[in-house]
Amino acid sequence: MTLAATKERKAPTRVLSYAGALLETMDAALANHANVFIMGQGVDDFKGIFGSTTGLAQKYGAERVFDVPLMEEGMTGVAIGAALVGDYPITTHIRADFSFLAMNQIINLAAKYRYMFGGSMSCPMLIRLVVGRSWGQGAQHSQSPQATFAHFPGLTVVMPATSQAILDMYPKIIARHPGPVISIEHRLLYNLDFTVSSNAPAIPLSTYIAREGKDVTVVATSVMVVEALRAAQYVKEAAGVEAEVIDLNSISHPDWELVVQSVRKTGRLVIADTSWLEYGVAAEVCRQLMLREPRALAAPPTMLGMASAPCPTAKSLEDLYYPSQHETVDAILAQVRGVGHGVALPTERSMTEAFKKFRGPF
Amino acid sequence: MGLIASPRFILYHQPSKAPQGAAEPLESKDLANSDELYRRLFRTTLLIRLVEERVIELYPSDRIQSPVHLSIGQEAVAVGVCDALRADDLVFATYRSHGFYLAKGGRLDRMFAELYGRIGGGAKGKAGSMHLSAPEVGLMGSSAVVASTIPHAVGAAMSFKRQGSDRIAVAVFGDGATEEGVYHESINFASLMKVPVLFVCEDNGLAVHSHRHIRQSYRLQKHAEIYGIASCRVDEGWDMLAIREASLAAVAHVRAGRPFLLEIATSRYMEHVGVGEDFHFQYRDRAAVDAWKARDPLVVDKALTEALRPELEREIEAAVAFAERSPAPGRDELLTDII
Ligand SMILES: Cc1ncc(C[n+]2csc(CCOP(=O)(O)OP(=O)(O)O)c2C)c(N)n1
Ligand SMILES: [Mg+2]
Repeated sequence: MTLAATKERKAPTRVLSYAGALLETMDAALANHANVFIMGQGVDDFKGIFGSTTGLAQKYGAERVFDVPLMEEGMTGVAIGAALVGDYPITTHIRADFSFLAMNQIINLAAKYRYMFGGSMSCPMLIRLVVGRSWGQGAQHSQSPQATFAHFPGLTVVMPATSQAILDMYPKIIARHPGPVISIEHRLLYNLDFTVSSNAPAIPLSTYIAREGKDVTVVATSVMVVEALRAAQYVKEAAGVEAEVIDLNSISHPDWELVVQSVRKTGRLVIADTSWLEYGVAAEVCRQLMLREPRALAAPPTMLGMASAPCPTAKSLEDLYYPSQHETVDAILAQVRGVGHGVALPTERSMTEAFKKFRGPF
Repeated sequence: MGLIASPRFILYHQPSKAPQGAAEPLESKDLANSDELYRRLFRTTLLIRLVEERVIELYPSDRIQSPVHLSIGQEAVAVGVCDALRADDLVFATYRSHGFYLAKGGRLDRMFAELYGRIGGGAKGKAGSMHLSAPEVGLMGSSAVVASTIPHAVGAAMSFKRQGSDRIAVAVFGDGATEEGVYHESINFASLMKVPVLFVCEDNGLAVHSHRHIRQSYRLQKHAEIYGIASCRVDEGWDMLAIREASLAAVAHVRAGRPFLLEIATSRYMEHVGVGEDFHFQYRDRAAVDAWKARDPLVVDKALTEALRPELEREIEAAVAFAERSPAPGRDELLTDII
């Protein structure tokens, strides 16, 4: 392991995978904060949560990076206890679906602790969830519960979409955030390479503009930000359409003014989320817009998310289940040019075909 | 072969009535026909192995686009347990259930179609390998969330009792699953309610890459004992006959109205998920698996393996062909069967 924990100099601009960014931030957290520890099923094994904790147990020892039994609820309760006495736990779930076993501790305890006890105590901690997608993840390995968690006051929910978002947010969260944070990472992003820069303005623990444009606003989360950026590139080349892509980034505490300003400018809105639309992120974006600027839209918004069904395993159905690049492009063009926009759509059938680096089983 | 071991029993409750069928002619008849019995169990065990070996061959072709958790090395557990059950008894199992699916009598062609994500699969391709089911033969829905089906078996058993039926339910789970809270809740409740449920722990000593001793501070049988649940451990988990014999006794106990825990030592030859071996990662010892293989009837009894192989391979080819012919589910399936 040559990973820099300490203040080793890094090139101002470099290429770093999402998993690499996670590993760097985990490493730095352990190096810079004696109270940080990482626990979760398999954090110390050779796969190291898809490469995001590999080698850290050897480097920092088993007191600080350790495997746990199958005990999602217990582990979360243990983390709360540790946080209450000054440690900073980082816990992992290799699929967000498994955090559902810890719902009681996350929602009834962690989310409430500070408030319910009159501000006298808090449990700052980072809970990392990985959302699965494709290669037959099926109904129980594919859920993306950002709206569920963001529904409960007391939780901070972020969805880093790039390596830069991780590099900018995680150190701040770990060093300073006063309460429990749920970070929802996406498995399809893990193996992607991103350009990162230490000179650019840091991504806030909130919303930011990922690409500027004047014709249509695309509000996206997680891997859908990457999808939206690809689509924006396509519509620019194919039709000269300039899409503004906003990475919501914080699900619990977005910058709604930023979103409203953009829609004021464009009058057109596409929302692309990684989960179901019903009562979800897309619904919340519309609620906020309705409250703040009910007449900003020139047409009803378009929403992209998972079909209203549990995730099917069959590839043929999975391809229909998630919005494809084709649909994202079509949604953007239809907003700007109308349904009969007449622009040829990309031929690619499923998004995961573009993310070739991801191949099963896990 | 015939490695009938003497499983270690811990019986805390004498069954309230004589267990149905226990020590009855069934057993002596079996002994008389032990060759035939051995051959029958061997055949199913070999079928499971050859099926999974076929999955390994097919996997690089990307026809099976779904995680697969192979049971190679563990097949005898499924075969020995299921052979001791009645057709109308129910089994609730896990993501590692190719073996239980076949041992309980699930159709092979539908299984391959399910793995392929085709309409001819038991769940029309919506389930894949991790969620196999065949309710028509008593294999209920398998879950990929560890330990999550254990209480389902308890509930089904409770209802059987309520309905005055003498069917039983079986919860199949790995050693790791016993660490989950719901396992403890389930065995406590089963014991309190005296429901006819058989808990079967497939103890391969591993949860993904973590060895049991770093995960568990308890011994499973001792632990069950404090809940008042009788148990038996079979160390010779390669031996279908020994497992079957222990299962028959366990099932008799359960059918008489008490929960029972059967802990069966076994060995996972392949990686946790996927179709490769994983010894090169050095988190476990190849020698332990090799020692197991040296006693595995499917490895040792080459004569019978080769005698049965041609017909089993024909069966498998037909099932694969069925899957290949079966169409992929179309858009009309996307939003069906939701509520
Ligand atoms: C609640 C939950 N936590 C974690 C996982 C990830 N996971 C899948 S299988 C497994 C190991 C389970 O071990 P065991 O119960 O012994 O079964 P085995 O795989 O050895 O058959 C883990 C941790 C999961 N599927 N569900
Ligand atoms: Mg195990």
